[in-house]
This record gives sequence, structure tokens and C-alpha cells, in this order.
Amino acid sequence: MVQSEMVEATEFQALSSKYNVSGVPQTTINDGAANVVGAVPESNMLAELKRITGK
Amino acid sequence: MAQLLNADVVKQIEEAFAPMKESVELLYFGKKDNCDYCADTQQLLEELAPISDKLSLSIYDIEDDADVAEKFNVDKVPGIVIAAKDGETVSDYGVRFAGIPSGHEFTSLIQDILLVSGRDSGLSQAMRDFLKDLAEPVLMQVFVTPT
Repeated sequence: MVQSEMVEATEFQALSSKYNVSGVPQTTINDGAANVVGAVPESNMLAELKRITGK
Repeated sequence: MAQLLNADVVKQIEEAFAPMKESVELLYFGKKDNCDYCADTQQLLEELAPISDKLSLSIYDIEDDADVAEKFNVDKVPGIVIAAKDGETVSDYGVRFAGIPSGHEFTSLIQDILLVSGRDSGLSQAMRDFLKDLAEPVLMQVFVTPT
């Protein structure tokens, strides 16, 4: 139920623009419900996932 | 075309893949036109797959094989699905690459193959608990550049 995709920003510029990607890595969750810039600890990612799924 | 992976790199990959226990299937999706990096990505995977007998590769065209693309939720080319293979059964672990895995991302590709081979996420208990209760689909897209 979770799909995790590496997206090469220069090949998919429309998508990069859509999510305002400037610094990489940027993790965009559920089409922009969350955007996490940088390589963050797992706990940060979990906090964002909880926030956007209302858990 | 010239070999993309030189002998030294192949040897390093061989060593990285040596502990692989379970099999992994790579599903590659390309397109005939308007895909600058498709040919190189396909060649890269064709050089990579034979390095381990636990690794296999199937090649699809996103247009001709639209049904397979839909089944694996692939909408961008070049696209790579890193799936588990048990006998003849391919299981989708939700791991995808969109775009050529070059530079640092090649290391990520190798790591992902090992991850799927290990059949375990390596995530924290807190994350596992969250995922167990997750009742809706989640899409995580990590934007990267090769350097």
C-alpha cells in the first residue's frame, strides 16, 4: 500500500516544478500533502506520515 | 554501444551481491520514442542482471505492455520496479525508480536490490506499527539528481 519512488528530477521537470523541487533530496508524499527536504531521520518521516494520514 | 559497467565495478557489484539469499526481479519499462535515457537504462540493467543468479530482468514497453505498466503502477519512463521473486511468483514491494539510476543513484539501486532480497524493510518498530494500521495508499516520491 506504500509505493516509494526515486524520481530523477532533471528527466521529469514538469513533476519537479509541480512540487517546487529546488534542494534534493526532496520527499514529496501523496502529491504534495507533505514535502520533506533533505535526508531526514526516519522519525521525521514517520511524523509527516502520521500528520498527513491524521494518525 | 560500449560497456557501461567496467570490470572493476562489476567485481564490486559481485561482492555486494554475494550474500543475496532470496531472488529479485527487475521490471524495466521503456518507450521507443521521446525517452532520452531509455536505451542507457536498459543497457545498464542488461549488464547488471547477469552479475547474480538471484537477479532477473524483464523488459517491457510502457505502450505495448500497458497492462503490465498499469498492474505495477508505472507511469514514467525509464521506469524500474524492484520486486521480490519466489519461484515464479513476483511480489510487488512498492519500490520504484523513475529515470536513469546514475551516479549516487546507482548505489541506491544496488542497496534496494539487497533490501528486497532480504525481504525486510529494516525500519523501526514505530514505523512498522504505523504501517500495520495504515488503511490508505501512500505515495512517496524522492526527487534526486545524479551528482
